[in-house]
Amino acid sequence: MSVDTDTHGSTGTETGSQETFEDVDWERVDDARRSLSLKAVLIASIYIVFTAGVIYDYVIKTPGTDTIGTLGVNLQALDWLYILTLLSILCFVVVPLYENKRMTKYYWRQFRKNKAAVVSLIYLGVIFVIGSIGPRFLDRPAVEPSNAYQPPVFMSVEEWMPVECAGEVSGGRCHGTWAHPLGTTHEGKDILVSVIYGMEVSMQVGLIAAMITITIAAIVGVSAAYFGGWIDAVLMRYVDIQITFPTFFLYLMIVYLYGGSLFSMIVIFGLLGWGGIARIVRSEALQRREEEYVLAAKNAGASSFWTMRRHLLPNVSNSVITAVTLLIPGLILFEASLAFLGLGDPTVPSWGEVIASGRDDLEYAWWISTIPGVFLFFTILAFNFIGDALRDALDPRSEGSGE
Amino acid sequence: MSMTTYILRRVAWAVVASLIVLTLTFMLLYFTPDTQLAEMQFQAAQAGEDPQEIGDAYESYYGYDQPLHVQYVDFMGNMLSLDWGWSETRSQPVTTAIADAIPYSMMYGVPSIIISTILGIAIGLYSATNQYTRSDYAATFFAFFGLSIPDFWFAIILLVIFGVMLGWVPILFDTNVAIFSLENAQQLILPIIVLTLSSIASLMRYSRAEALEYVEAEFVKTAKAKGVEGRRILTHHIFRPASVPLATILVGDLLGIILVSSYLIEVVYGIPGLGMLSFRAIVNQDTPLVMGTVLLPAFLTIIGNLAQDVAYTVLDPRIDYGDS
Repeated sequence: MSVDTDTHGSTGTETGSQETFEDVDWERVDDARRSLSLKAVLIASIYIVFTAGVIYDYVIKTPGTDTIGTLGVNLQALDWLYILTLLSILCFVVVPLYENKRMTKYYWRQFRKNKAAVVSLIYLGVIFVIGSIGPRFLDRPAVEPSNAYQPPVFMSVEEWMPVECAGEVSGGRCHGTWAHPLGTTHEGKDILVSVIYGMEVSMQVGLIAAMITITIAAIVGVSAAYFGGWIDAVLMRYVDIQITFPTFFLYLMIVYLYGGSLFSMIVIFGLLGWGGIARIVRSEALQRREEEYVLAAKNAGASSFWTMRRHLLPNVSNSVITAVTLLIPGLILFEASLAFLGLGDPTVPSWGEVIASGRDDLEYAWWISTIPGVFLFFTILAFNFIGDALRDALDPRSEGSGE
Repeated sequence: MSMTTYILRRVAWAVVASLIVLTLTFMLLYFTPDTQLAEMQFQAAQAGEDPQEIGDAYESYYGYDQPLHVQYVDFMGNMLSLDWGWSETRSQPVTTAIADAIPYSMMYGVPSIIISTILGIAIGLYSATNQYTRSDYAATFFAFFGLSIPDFWFAIILLVIFGVMLGWVPILFDTNVAIFSLENAQQLILPIIVLTLSSIASLMRYSRAEALEYVEAEFVKTAKAKGVEGRRILTHHIFRPASVPLATILVGDLLGIILVSSYLIEVVYGIPGLGMLSFRAIVNQDTPLVMGTVLLPAFLTIIGNLAQDVAYTVLDPRIDYGDS
């Protein structure tokens, strides 16, 4: 995922000592460069299938019906974006890590030094898996007034609190049951189910916005550094403006004018939050631009796109990944804050919304606000720990100042 | 380029950024269907009147029948002359409503900024000079805690523990107590704690990282070798060079954190400051007040960034006045 400065294609000539420049079969070298590797074909086909899916959903199939009618699966714009994000993570994070096993092992050894980060990674993995699978099999948390204020399992409350105690009643206290392991809200919504749905929401917010951010920041930052001149000036002046405008307040204005949805929230965060990272990418790429291998590639006749794609991007990826990991917790917190204020997406069961719903009952039913808050806290903490560990593992400049 | 031209360019840039923000706001407002008008027309139609007529009267009253550029010039003129419109729900000009709210935001905002700045930098410096000790780890842990805890959630939990269960602090914010009184301090203590915690963490991390760059510097070693006393090394040799980058985070980042945090804190604690004013305006569909209370933080951020750039040039004699 990092320093893999390209060797195939550009210099494939020094195979033997007897071979001279004249002996090289340039036709063959050119063909080798043109023929696409299996990996490139696979990645391209994944994206073609994805595009076909989107076209089918929005253009071909009759509007108003489910995407896959027989399975009863209906994909929204947000779902498509999430699928795209996961596919991109697969193609540009998982596959390169798998291919460069030696590099992966090295990074893992560095990363493993930070115990908190390893635990965080496992925690986030669990949240991701449960959040991805759970909502497929569980029904949405539904309002069920007769089921209100059930305490979590192993806990008990005064008998009068729940309308109907689902568990056993003994000694004037209502005990929690496994039917609602984390209890229910004042509307009778099951908290465990709400929390599981909230996991997916938080992961969607973090990952999709991160993907949009990385894409734009990388393109803008690398182009600004590579081309310089007026392109650099225009792009960076724009970044100056964007950075001064507080995203949170812009989103408030848009929610007020158009109504909130998770899709628009994520897109706004993604489209307006990349300024800082574009600056990092630019300054890193500026340093790389003058390196010998970039000059060599240019002299060898590499196109601008090739140079940026093969020589600049891989070398700035470390700082981008670190910066984005530290950006994600802020986005998740923003989403939760907006949902807490009731300005988020009313159709989505988010952690912030559950926290808000238990706010007035905290004295009697502490579990409603506390449990999703704990999940939110640990998710943000986990991203912060991982970002910190990545900075130590990936960024050679911060050596010595690691935790 | 001299320092004066550099600062003048920065000021001009801040003005341009403000104008762009205002223009964007105007565009957003212009292209949004007016719910208030739709509501009035609906009621008129139900009462048997002509909705078209009501619409025309409404549009000419607010000047919406004018051509786009006239409306734009009007809007910009009003904004620049601080005529930010009339708040229907509060029956007062938007600027008056904002002016009334600002003292409440400052009551807990100012103490919190002072505490987090002093404590944050002090702890950060201490951590850097005592790296990898138990207290450094404790400070790091504390910083991560502050960085990660959702402030609105923490605010509720504190309110329940200290307000409801222990009864040490009042649950409802009382606006009738004197500013400098024990009662007021009592009801402001929790907001100050929550806001301080959310802003102190990044300050601690930054000041630790910045100070670490100088702990091993040659001139610090020289000072030590010359027998300069520890405290003097800290204040004169480490803190001074580190204060330059710190000044920049202080204004820019801190302002961003505080503006968002205070919004949530005011809603949780019922403090009638700017955040609460804005939140109420959104809930009550009071468009001019929403615009005013959302634009103010945007302008504050622009001014903060300007102040940050100017501070940088004044504090650091080595700065390059080049184009980037």
